Amino acid sequence: MIDSSSIKQLAGHPFDRRDFLKVLGWSGAAVALSGCGNTSIENGKETVVSYVEAADYVIPGVAVYYNSTCAQCDAGCNINGRVREGRVLKLEGNAASAINRGKMCGLGQAGVQHHYNPDRVREPLLRKGDKGETISWDKAYALIAEKLNGVSGEQVAFLSGAVSGHLKVLLGNYLESLGSKNLYVYEAVAPAVQRAANKKAYGTEMPRFNINKAKVVLSFGADFLGSWVSPVHFSQQYAQFRKGVDGQRGVLVQVESKMTLTGANADRWLVVRPGTEGILALGIINALGASGVTLSGDVAAAVQGYDKARVSNDTGVSVEHLDKLVALLKERTPSLVLAGSAAEGYAHGSQNAAAINLLNQVLGNVGKTIEASASVPFPQMIPAKGNTAALKTLNDDLAAGKYKVLFTYATNPVFTAPGSMKFKANLAKAGFKVAFAHYLDETALEADLVLPLDSALEDWGTQVPEYMAEGAQINIQQPLMEKLHANTQGMGDILLTLVKQREADKYKDFADYYGYLRGSLLTIKGALGSGGTDDDTFWDETLTSGIIKLAGSAEQLSGNASAAGLQLPAAAAADAQYSFHLIPSVTAYLRDGRHTNQPWLQESPDPLTTIVWDSWVEIHPKKAAELGIVEGDVLEVSSRTGSIRAQAYLFPGIHPDAISIPLGRGHEALGRYAKGYGVNPFQILDAVFDQETGELALHETRVKISKVGQRIIVVKDEGAAGGKPEQRRIALSKSTDQVKLSEEV
Amino acid sequence: MHRFLRLSFMLMGLLVASGSYAADTQKPTLTTEDDLGPQVTQPIEFPHYRHAGLKNPDDPTNSDPSKGGMEIDCQYCHTYARRSAVAGIPPLQKCIGCHQNIESVRNKPRIVELFKYWDAKKAIPWKKVHDLPDFVRFNHERHIKRFVEQQNRPTQEACGYCHGDVKSMTVARRSKSLAMGWCASCHEKNHPVTAEGGTPIGNQAYWYKFQKPVVASSDGVVKAQGPNDCWHCHK
Repeated sequence: MIDSSSIKQLAGHPFDRRDFLKVLGWSGAAVALSGCGNTSIENGKETVVSYVEAADYVIPGVAVYYNSTCAQCDAGCNINGRVREGRVLKLEGNAASAINRGKMCGLGQAGVQHHYNPDRVREPLLRKGDKGETISWDKAYALIAEKLNGVSGEQVAFLSGAVSGHLKVLLGNYLESLGSKNLYVYEAVAPAVQRAANKKAYGTEMPRFNINKAKVVLSFGADFLGSWVSPVHFSQQYAQFRKGVDGQRGVLVQVESKMTLTGANADRWLVVRPGTEGILALGIINALGASGVTLSGDVAAAVQGYDKARVSNDTGVSVEHLDKLVALLKERTPSLVLAGSAAEGYAHGSQNAAAINLLNQVLGNVGKTIEASASVPFPQMIPAKGNTAALKTLNDDLAAGKYKVLFTYATNPVFTAPGSMKFKANLAKAGFKVAFAHYLDETALEADLVLPLDSALEDWGTQVPEYMAEGAQINIQQPLMEKLHANTQGMGDILLTLVKQREADKYKDFADYYGYLRGSLLTIKGALGSGGTDDDTFWDETLTSGIIKLAGSAEQLSGNASAAGLQLPAAAAADAQYSFHLIPSVTAYLRDGRHTNQPWLQESPDPLTTIVWDSWVEIHPKKAAELGIVEGDVLEVSSRTGSIRAQAYLFPGIHPDAISIPLGRGHEALGRYAKGYGVNPFQILDAVFDQETGELALHETRVKISKVGQRIIVVKDEGAAGGKPEQRRIALSKSTDQVKLSEEV
Repeated sequence: MHRFLRLSFMLMGLLVASGSYAADTQKPTLTTEDDLGPQVTQPIEFPHYRHAGLKNPDDPTNSDPSKGGMEIDCQYCHTYARRSAVAGIPPLQKCIGCHQNIESVRNKPRIVELFKYWDAKKAIPWKKVHDLPDFVRFNHERHIKRFVEQQNRPTQEACGYCHGDVKSMTVARRSKSLAMGWCASCHEKNHPVTAEGGTPIGNQAYWYKFQKPVVASSDGVVKAQGPNDCWHCHK
């Protein structure tokens, strides 16, 4: 309300904040006065556009609902989208789903922001120097065909995120038509070590965990309420577990070095020295044996040296707590022991997981709380599971200049590869890089050709979840609304076009991916249990429900976890120069950072620290006091690989010898809501690998910290640290050695 | 001194601002019962009087557009009003559905314009005439159900409570203020809302002239005058 002439006159004299506020107050009052009454209604200004031709079911103001599948993570939750006036507005869980039973997590809710994101790629882009030039799809396809011409199969590689269902089939067929076997399936934070350990112990990579049937759950860093495997499903099991079996409320004990969301919900949170989870597991077995549980000969031999005093010394868990835990496990059966990423992120991660699985065996949980899972009877549709070992192989091959054409899809290794791998530099050695992308993320920026994808709410697909909740199921993904941008294409359509370039005859019956999907599912209609229904009915029913439920074939659990080959190293010695363990924490919403550009996720306070829109360094208050660090001090965190800077946050839920930085932030690309917020701890990770599986050991990096002399205000939801006495958390009201676990039980 | 000068410049700005407010007040006072909205220019000057107006008894063939209408029910075109919170504008398809069979007016300028949109499959960018602030949620369906379906009143009367005598207009023009006080002026009077078998939620609304719900002694049914909670409209 300051007119332009007075602004011009003021220009030479910048007015101070106080004057500005005074004027703001007065002119605000003037605005309020002129805004009185109903003159603010803008009759005749807004346009109300009607349909040219309206579909029968379209009534403005009345919503329709479609079932589909959430694509925000791999858990495969079935969703139900509310669509009004042709726009998807809200996603909820599909009540008929065995996985999520009508519920949904915050990450899934933010799926609409993936769809409506203003930073989506809208046109195919071809690199011209530093710029991307818009080209047509026909040109793009022709260019790919040209680049593949005369290139042998070994010189082509495809890097993908976890992929399943018909997309995986088509992807496999395309690579086969190219004569290439180089499919790398990479997920930065997948439970790959656990799969290998489970395979050994139970004979299946991902058995069904019945948290709801257990009376005690002992979790070694498995954040099953936050980010582990299938969190929405486990959260519901957890609710039943808390209500109790036979009237006994379940007891949750969480063992980890940095508190996770699950740890914060536990009855007892035990902090262990990073990497000693396996030693604790063997110590518990030993103590169980001593208290009268029969151990087989080899198990008894393997745990022989792990007496309480040694285990307590190595792990930092007191003998008293160890005794209580053993008594609890002995008294209440069945129990369930879970091994999560925190226990597996070490060079001896597989050994840790094996020790933890052995504990399940000793407690007799296999077959009770750990059961065989059903699997889809079509092996070609079973998910290609992501891991980090694949990235290492690809990186080595890229460094050797092996590939002339490289495709990337649904993964962002330039952001998530540990800095020590120098992935970005190696990627540049690939001849022609094609990125199938929703956004210009760090990897797409390095590509020569970027092909824009339909969002998950615009595309067709099938998905087979890795973790099957009850029987086997195939999830249907269908468009909830028309495409937002005319020039994006579905990944299935792209692969179909590409495979037609090679084998036109074989795919000539399929006009598009929708046709391929429908045709393929109709041919296996009988095996899907709908042999009697006619094609159209089957298809309509399938799309309506969004889930194809199958009896599935249950794999048998072997339950022969043995102590053979179990060799745990002694607790890691202190590193004089790099004295802290770095724990790159996987948060419930940001995970590996592929969805950081969804502002709802950026603004959701972290469940434990309540920090928003930024990264932080978690450090134990005692350690911080020793080093003279207070909240908001900017710390330089340096590893042997590199260094990053972030604000300190004092947090009692972490081992004093460790610091933790959450993963997911620190993007240099990925659009306006991700770029430039926080730091990326992947950058400073050392390339240490699990000795058995070759998986990246995320927790093996050692760091040192120093203050840079700057202090900032931490933007967080909670009040001042400590707060008023009545606001203090209940857990703090009693010191931990006064809490009697047996009384809590 | 400098500081004083700067402040006075800003105060001048403020004066100019309040001056523009004074100019606004030249308009007629606001909440009379028949408050006319601005005349809105529409892409096609749709003649409501011709479609919905009363028939001319002296002209049984209905051939003279200046003398009579066709008494088409409002809901024939505004078909969403009884099904949804919003009344909606009929799809272009609906206009064409009739007009492709009415050769006699096919060459009139408005109809030519109409078919231009249709041939291009382009939506007509109508201007909104009855606009409510975003914090008000008026439900058409509820009002149509009550007046037309339950009380059997003529559609034009029911629609006319809020929209005025549209059948006599060319393009529609707002003729009621649609402010909250105006809503209350009706709801206070003779439109009891019955909440069968339950206690109406909340009781804040009667502070704003809406009456407190009462239980009728005869049948124990709870009755209230109009919405009995703020969130009925402000949700």
